[in-house]
Amino acid sequence: MFAEFKHTLRHMRGQLLGWVIGITLYSVLMASFYDSIAGMEGLVELMKGYPQEIMAFFGDSMFAITKPDGYLDLYFFGYMAVIIGVLAAAMGNALLVSDEEKGILDLVLSYPVSRSALFWGRMVGFVSALALILFTSWFSWLVTPSSLGLSWIELLRPFLPLMALLLFFGSLALLLSMLLPSARAAGTLCGGLLVANYLLIGLSNMNENLEAMIKYTPLYYYQGGDAIFDLNWVWLSGLLAGAIIFTLLAWWRFQRRDIRVGGEGGWRLPALSRLLRR
Amino acid sequence: MKDNVALWARGLTKSYGKIQALRGIDLEVRRGEIFGFLGPNGAGKTTAIRCMLDLIRPQGGTLRVLGFDPQADPVAVRARTGYLPGELHMEDSYKVKDQLRYYKDLRSNHIDWDFVQQLARRLDLDLAMPIKNLSKGNKQKVGIVQALMSRPELLLMDEPTSGLDPLMQHEVYRMLREAQAEGATVFFSSHIISEVEILAERVAIIRQGIIVEEADPHRLMEMSLRRIRVRFSETIDSTPLAEIEGVTLLSLNKGTSAHLQVEGEMDGLIKALGAYRVRDIKIERPSLEDIFLTYYKDEDKEEEIN
Repeated sequence: MFAEFKHTLRHMRGQLLGWVIGITLYSVLMASFYDSIAGMEGLVELMKGYPQEIMAFFGDSMFAITKPDGYLDLYFFGYMAVIIGVLAAAMGNALLVSDEEKGILDLVLSYPVSRSALFWGRMVGFVSALALILFTSWFSWLVTPSSLGLSWIELLRPFLPLMALLLFFGSLALLLSMLLPSARAAGTLCGGLLVANYLLIGLSNMNENLEAMIKYTPLYYYQGGDAIFDLNWVWLSGLLAGAIIFTLLAWWRFQRRDIRVGGEGGWRLPALSRLLRR
Repeated sequence: MKDNVALWARGLTKSYGKIQALRGIDLEVRRGEIFGFLGPNGAGKTTAIRCMLDLIRPQGGTLRVLGFDPQADPVAVRARTGYLPGELHMEDSYKVKDQLRYYKDLRSNHIDWDFVQQLARRLDLDLAMPIKNLSKGNKQKVGIVQALMSRPELLLMDEPTSGLDPLMQHEVYRMLREAQAEGATVFFSSHIISEVEILAERVAIIRQGIIVEEADPHRLMEMSLRRIRVRFSETIDSTPLAEIEGVTLLSLNKGTSAHLQVEGEMDGLIKALGAYRVRDIKIERPSLEDIFLTYYKDEDKEEEIN
C-alpha cells in the first residue's frame, strides 16, 4: 500500500507543484490586499447601488467584504470550492481508471498487491495531495502580514468544510469512473455537477423557487467563510459521510470488476448505433 | 490436482457480453516445464492468462495456479509469478530504472538489484532512458526484465519476443531456459510457430476459446499428417496400400511411383511396403506451422458451414 501511496504522489508531483505555487501566490496576494479594503464602509454603500441581481448572485458575503469572514468567503472560499473542486474531480476519476484505460494497471495488478491495497494506497495519496494544497494555502494566509486578525484555529475552520467538499466530489468522480465507460465521462459529469450546483446556489438567491431544490445539493451544506466563527459540524459530517459512502462504493465496485486493457467492457448503446448506421 | 502441477484448469469459461472468449478450457501444465500456448489473435490466449492472475474473473470452471485459487488468493499467486502482458504499457514520465524500482517496491523490495542490472545488460537495455523514448522492442525488454527480476516460480508471458530482433529473441530463449533450469515453470503464448517449436516442451493449441490439441511439439508432428513418396522397381497394384488404415493414396504415377498421405502411426504402411521392391522412399515431415494451419483451415471450413 505504501508503494502505491508513494507512486500516486510521485505521479501527481508536477500537478501538485503547480497548484501549490499558484495557490500560495494567490493566498499571499489576497491576504496582503485585505488591509486596503478593511474598514472601507463606503465600499459597501457603493455596492448597495449595484444591480440587485449581481448582489444576490454573490450572496450576503458581498456586504461583509470589509470583515475577515466576508472577505475570505468572497475572495477565496466562495469560488475555490469550484476551482479546486474541478481539480479534485479530475484527480478522482483518474485515480484508477485512467491507468486502467492506458493498460498500465494490467501489469501493476500482476504484482503481489491486492486490489484493496492498490485502491487505498492511491486513495490516501489523493487525500494527502488535496490536504497539502489546502495546508499550503492555510499557511500562506496565516503567515502573510495583514490585519485579518484571525487565530490559526479560526483560519483553519473554513478549510475543513472545503476539504470535505473536495473529498465529496473527488470520491464521487472516483465512483462514477467505476460505473461509466470512461474516466473522461466520469470527470466531465462530476465537474459539470459541481459547476451546475455552484450556479444553482447563486441563482437561488434571486429565485425563491430554487431554494427548496438546493437543499438537496452538496454545496448548500458548504459553509465557506461563515465557518470561521461558527463551524456547522453536522453539515461538515454530512459532506464527509457522503465522501466515505462514495469511496466505499467505489472500493466495492473495484473489487469486483474485470481490469480492462482497452476495448473490453464499457457501455454499448445498441439502439443508438443502429440509428447511426441508418 | 497433483502437487507437481503448476497450472490446472477445468471447464474455464469467460465471456465479454455476447462474445465467448473461453468456452471451457481444460489445461494442465507441470511444474518446471516450458509450455507453449499457440493460437491466432483473438483465440483466447490473453484472456486465459489474465484469468490466472485474477485480472479478470472467469464465469465458470475451476482454475488453480501453483495450487492456489487466483480468485480466493490472488496475492499468493502474484507473489510467485512473473508476468509479461501482450500489450505492455508503463508510465511514460518515468525512466526505465524508476519504473523497475516501482515494480521492486510493489514486491516489497524482495528483488536483487544486481540481478536486474545483469538482466538489463544481457538485453542491452539502458536503464537511464525515459520510457517515452523507448522503441517497442526496448519496451519489451523492460517487460522481460520486470517479469524475470523476482526469479518467480511461474512465468506467464504473453508473446514474449514480440518486437525483438532475432538476436534478442535468442537471448530471451536462453533466459527462459535458465529460469527453467532454476526450477521455474514457463507458460507462454505465441502465434509464432517457430518460437514454440524451439522453446516449448509441450504445446496446447487454442481455437475459438477451446483447447483443440495438447501434446509435445514433436509428438504433435508425429501424430499429424505426413506425405510419403515411394518409388518402386516395378509396376505395382496400389489397392492394398490404399486399404491400410490411416493411409490415403494421393496419386500413382505409371504404377511405379506413389504419393501417399499417412495419418498417425507409420507401422501399417511400412509393413505393407515390405511386399514390394522399393527403390526409394521420401517422407515429408510437416512443420508445426503445417499442423497449426491444419487446425485453422478446419475452423474456417466450419465457419463457412455455419
